[in-house]
Amino acid sequence: MTERALYIAWATLIALSLGSTALAASGLWVHWPVASGVAVLVLAWWKARIILARYLGLDAAPAWRRRFDFGLGCLCVLMLGLYLAPLAM
Amino acid sequence: MRQPHASDELPGELLMWILIVSELAVFAAGLAVFLSVRITDPEGFAQAQDMLDRRAAGINTVVLITSGFLAAMAYRMRQLGQRGKARLLLISAALLGVLFLWIKGAEFASKSAAGIVWDTHPFFNFYFLLTGFHAAHVAAGVVLLPLVAWRDTVENIEDATAFWHMVDLVWVLLFPVIYLLR
Repeated sequence: MTERALYIAWATLIALSLGSTALAASGLWVHWPVASGVAVLVLAWWKARIILARYLGLDAAPAWRRRFDFGLGCLCVLMLGLYLAPLAM
Repeated sequence: MRQPHASDELPGELLMWILIVSELAVFAAGLAVFLSVRITDPEGFAQAQDMLDRRAAGINTVVLITSGFLAAMAYRMRQLGQRGKARLLLISAALLGVLFLWIKGAEFASKSAAGIVWDTHPFFNFYFLLTGFHAAHVAAGVVLLPLVAWRDTVENIEDATAFWHMVDLVWVLLFPVIYLLR
């Protein structure tokens, strides 16, 4: 992993974290709870993928990277379903 | 002759990956149970969550992500044979880990001062359990990083930084679910 790639990964992670925190602090949540919840979990999945690929080196192991992406994607979908369940009741 | 195994493709030690997957599974189960219990009392969970300090948790996220970056840079520097820089980066990463723990400690102390304990509401059961268990991992990393700055083989640094990235990985999943999902 090059130093440039590590800098880009760090800047992206910071931007995504600030983005999800700003979203939670904004009034958007009151009007669009479903969209906001989806956005926060998608951002979490994205951040996890960056850590796995760039910092833990899965960029060099694409098959494993896909497996982890899928597993984390399933976890985020499960969490989204559980988060949305009270809204459907 | 040994046949190549799929796990050979994984970077670093297989045992470290087993640890990473195990820890992810534990925290994933914890978060899934947290959200399942939340279904029974979404209003109560929302009110309890509003008592958390999202700004402090956001700052802690930046601190931990930056610490992870410094650890990744340390491993890169060690690969390039720049041992002094690698050591400095590892110590800096550990110091940011200490800062994370200090902010987390202040957060716990403010809850305690407000009379909020683990059984105040089911939300706080999970809050203290999950973020406390994560903080214990941060504490372990804070010890581990200076240790590998001292015993600075490439393999030691690779393993310790992988542990630190796992701590980072767990936090980026924990933080939005506990602090942000309303």
